[in-house]
Amino acid sequence: MTFHWHVVWDNLDRFATGAVLTVELTVLTMALSIPGGLLLAFLRLSPFGPVRVATTAFVELFRSTPLILQIYWVYYVLPTFTEIQFPAFETAIIGLVCNVSSYNSETFRAGIVSIRTGQWNAGLAVGMTKAQVMGRIVLPQAAMRVLPALATTWVSLFKDTSLVSVINVEELSYQSLKIRTETFTILEVLTAMATIYWLMGYPQAKLVDWVHRRYKAAE
Amino acid sequence: MSAPLVSPPFLRVGAEAAPILTFEKVSKRYGNLLALSEVSFQINRGEVVCLIGPSGSGKSTLLRCANALEMLDGGRVTFEGADVHGAGDARRVRQRMGMVFQNFELFPHLTVLRNITIGPTTVLRLDTAAADARARALLHKVGLSDKVGQHPAALSGGQQQRVAIARALAMEPALMLFDEPTSALDPETIGEVLSVMKALADEGMTMVVVTHEMDFAKRVADWIVVFDQGRVIEQGPPKQIFEAPTVPRTREFLSHLGWHGESIAEISAGE
Repeated sequence: MTFHWHVVWDNLDRFATGAVLTVELTVLTMALSIPGGLLLAFLRLSPFGPVRVATTAFVELFRSTPLILQIYWVYYVLPTFTEIQFPAFETAIIGLVCNVSSYNSETFRAGIVSIRTGQWNAGLAVGMTKAQVMGRIVLPQAAMRVLPALATTWVSLFKDTSLVSVINVEELSYQSLKIRTETFTILEVLTAMATIYWLMGYPQAKLVDWVHRRYKAAE
Repeated sequence: MSAPLVSPPFLRVGAEAAPILTFEKVSKRYGNLLALSEVSFQINRGEVVCLIGPSGSGKSTLLRCANALEMLDGGRVTFEGADVHGAGDARRVRQRMGMVFQNFELFPHLTVLRNITIGPTTVLRLDTAAADARARALLHKVGLSDKVGQHPAALSGGQQQRVAIARALAMEPALMLFDEPTSALDPETIGEVLSVMKALADEGMTMVVVTHEMDFAKRVADWIVVFDQGRVIEQGPPKQIFEAPTVPRTREFLSHLGWHGESIAEISAGE
């Protein structure tokens, strides 16, 4: 059996381009899904029943269906209703942000309700508004508590960005699979792909472990 | 509906004793549990009123009704002439009424200084320099000047509670509510909190104190209100409550705490 490792070296620039796009997708999705998740969390804690029900339905829909289906759906089905066809990259971001925001909303909600009533009372008792108590007392404490869960979601997201290759977003998976098809070097290309994902993902996983240790018992 | 629900004699009328806070037939229920049943009494300006009684008798609930942290199911709470539960008045009332909690409830993510300045800067719109100066003066007063930059977790329970008192005082309240301020403390730090409270009372601060510290109640209170099962069963000056309670249940409660009607003079002499 002969190996054709030169295929990997010859296409290093394409792997690199794909890897950069993977990082961009991850960073941009998370940057939008933190405010998105916060918004959904507030809506789910709203005193208005219909708002809570609608938000819960949205969140549970995105948490209970496969991400790949959501991406297909946004790309192929949504345009038939809205008559707007977003480019692949924008579509990928929309799908990922809806999905990750839903997960983040549950994380944030749990963080917010974990702050005991006494802290609310202490803030209200000095005459602060509910919004001031939320912004200055509850959220800063909740943020420390949800950091480990957010970090875990981050690493999942990093790997899940590979799914947007199905709508031709040219990130690392898409580039790798394309090189494979062009060169018929399955073992070499998939090994290279795994190595690149691992080299990027492992430090993140270690960072997450550190975050878990650092903020676990933060009170 | 400003007509009084209850007329005197429950109101204690004195020459300078203007009521600052009145509870009139206050009722509160949680599901089937009647937490407060037609509770009526008043606090006059400059007085220290201690609420005593068994755990679960409604004392702490009543305190949370005083600054509208709890809604009422009946009756009325009036503070400085305004209905506490009236529309839009809750925040104005809370700014004028300090509250100290059993579990301190300091903000763990803020330094001692910021715990004290957060009220004045966000609610009173004081600038940082003025708020800092006020906080430092209060920390000096409660004996914790050296803890300015610490976080609450680095402080003992007694120190945390003194910071909590300073935090409440920073709003320059007209009245202070204390909800079992020493119940969560180690015995050796109870004294430092009580002496801060005593000093405050001596300065003329109006105070409502839920407490199990009978020595404190006896020595500092101007008026004692005894609770049992959501009702006020007896109220009066400390001398009456501790030396000659008229209600058997009061006597029973006090004897459970090891109090057997010693005269206040006797106890003071025995120190």
